Amino acid sequence: MGPKPLDLAIETIDLTKRYGSLVAVNRLNLRVGKGTIHGFLGPNGAGKTTTIKILVGLLKPDGGRAIVLGEEVHGDNPRSRLKIGYMPELPKFPRHLKGWELLDIYGQMYGMPLQERRTRIKRLMELVGLKGRENDLIGEYSKGMQQRLGIAQALLSEPELVILDEPSLGLDPVGMVEVREIIREIAREGVTVFLSSHLLSEVEQVCTHISIIHRGVCLAEGPLKDIISKISGSAILEVEVAETPDKIVEAVKRLPFVSNIHVEGSRVIIETNANGDVRPQISRAIIEAGGTIIYMNLRMRSLEETFMRLIMKSR
Amino acid sequence: MNFEDKSWSREPKLMRQLWAVIKYELLWNIRKKKFLGVLIVAFAITTLNLTLPVILRRTYDMPIESNPNYIVSNSGIGGLMLFLFALVTVMNSISGEFESGTIVPLLTKPISRTLILIGKIAAAFITIFAAYLLLYTYMIVGGTIIYGPQNNLDLTPLCILGDLLSTFVWVSIILALGSLTKNTILTSVIAIMVFLAMNIGSSIISVFTESAWMLHYLPGNGAAGYIKVEGQPTAYAGSISTGTDNITKMIIQYYLHPSANVTYVKVELRGGSPQGGLSSLLKELYSEPLSLVLFRAISVAAAYIIALITLAWYIFKRAQILE
Repeated sequence: MGPKPLDLAIETIDLTKRYGSLVAVNRLNLRVGKGTIHGFLGPNGAGKTTTIKILVGLLKPDGGRAIVLGEEVHGDNPRSRLKIGYMPELPKFPRHLKGWELLDIYGQMYGMPLQERRTRIKRLMELVGLKGRENDLIGEYSKGMQQRLGIAQALLSEPELVILDEPSLGLDPVGMVEVREIIREIAREGVTVFLSSHLLSEVEQVCTHISIIHRGVCLAEGPLKDIISKISGSAILEVEVAETPDKIVEAVKRLPFVSNIHVEGSRVIIETNANGDVRPQISRAIIEAGGTIIYMNLRMRSLEETFMRLIMKSR
Repeated sequence: MNFEDKSWSREPKLMRQLWAVIKYELLWNIRKKKFLGVLIVAFAITTLNLTLPVILRRTYDMPIESNPNYIVSNSGIGGLMLFLFALVTVMNSISGEFESGTIVPLLTKPISRTLILIGKIAAAFITIFAAYLLLYTYMIVGGTIIYGPQNNLDLTPLCILGDLLSTFVWVSIILALGSLTKNTILTSVIAIMVFLAMNIGSSIISVFTESAWMLHYLPGNGAAGYIKVEGQPTAYAGSISTGTDNITKMIIQYYLHPSANVTYVKVELRGGSPQGGLSSLLKELYSEPLSLVLFRAISVAAAYIIALITLAWYIFKRAQILE
């Protein structure tokens, strides 16, 4: 059982979008629970940005439905955007406006009173590291500064759902770390974050849930750890033994949580699908089979491996 | 920072949202170098218009005579300036947003596209109105200083309104083009071509053919005619163009000569006699009341504005943001 509709921040039902003969989004069913940090992954051209653009009203779907925070997204429906903060990929803002002017105007569009706008803009400029540059024209901002301004405007209205499309693109390593920290901070306050990113390590570090799409179809969706263990197995154990590993392989193979095993010289690579740490059981099995362990390393499966496995399988 | 301490309601008021779009657009308009350039040119032309007769008279040691009708006979911003003000104000209002990508954050705010377009049009109106107000004030103050107290100054608000109506025909053409092409250069080139075609074409049609009637329904300069006032000794009280660019001049003429008629003429290149001079080459086509000509020009202007802004709205409302 997945989350109930009321607990969903985003729900798409058979969502479809075509560009001529190309089906960019193909009967996509997406469920993003409230209060989660949900990573939205897929290779280039998978349909991520198209899906996001439908969710924020920039594109019209050719079929299916999209429901955001209980509001049906259809046509030019400003109500569906009231509780959303959206940061597009490489955001562009009017060069003739100053940073604070832009946020002030956007704040007015959300119906924020003057005092609230002033307080909020000041805090956001500090948060995204633009303090002291708020009176500069946006035309004078660097790409990274515009990216930071993009994050500030997405958080301006105290949204219930923040949709971030490649938030770290164009940022330096310090900026990337800061963005991750901001994402965690807003999620701690109960805000749902829907994050599209090519940086799988970033997604792995901050997201609690993920959806992987390819050619407009959802390949996997759910809690990050569950998906990794379901698709790739939980962990890989690399064991180096002093003896010929044949007897050891036979003994380890009998363990119920071992999904695959292969030998590379004196090293035994054991793939497991157990959720906990299985090193004690494996050590015991090796020793009981008369083996001597020289080296043992537990490596958790990465999102990257899971992602590659899924994408290669669907090709 | 706390994201849960929201103390304001999520029911934005339409007027507050509208004002936000107007501010967004106004700040753009007044910071546009092109707009400031056209404003400076307009002031330069007005200054030249005011001072050239004085300079010439001084040069030839002639006295500067007072002229209480200076303002009334010089009111009405010229067709080219009307067009330029419209062009620099709205040439990238819609297309520029699409080209630069700034449309994306704008359209994802909780504000309808209809309100965005209304805000942009309102900002264009305020910008151009402010520019014309400045120009008229400058002309009135300058004219009064140089030529003495002026007659019919009460016509000034109507003149500004007439110029705004004329300008908004071009504004609506440019906005519709901007929505269609989503490309500022293409929009500007097509608009300039339309403007030139309307002005050059209308002059040729008006002077050399008997089809001047069709110019009443096109934007721009319109058909050329002469004002005939009943009971006046001279045949013609002055020339006039009847297009949407000349609404202010028609308003002034109607104010001065409410019962006047407009007579349309064409040039008969083979029909003239050497003794008759230029007037013998002119063939009168037909006449109609000035009131009708003015009413028709205002109606045509309004029809263009409504139709083209509706077209711009329809395209803008349905536009999908692919990039």
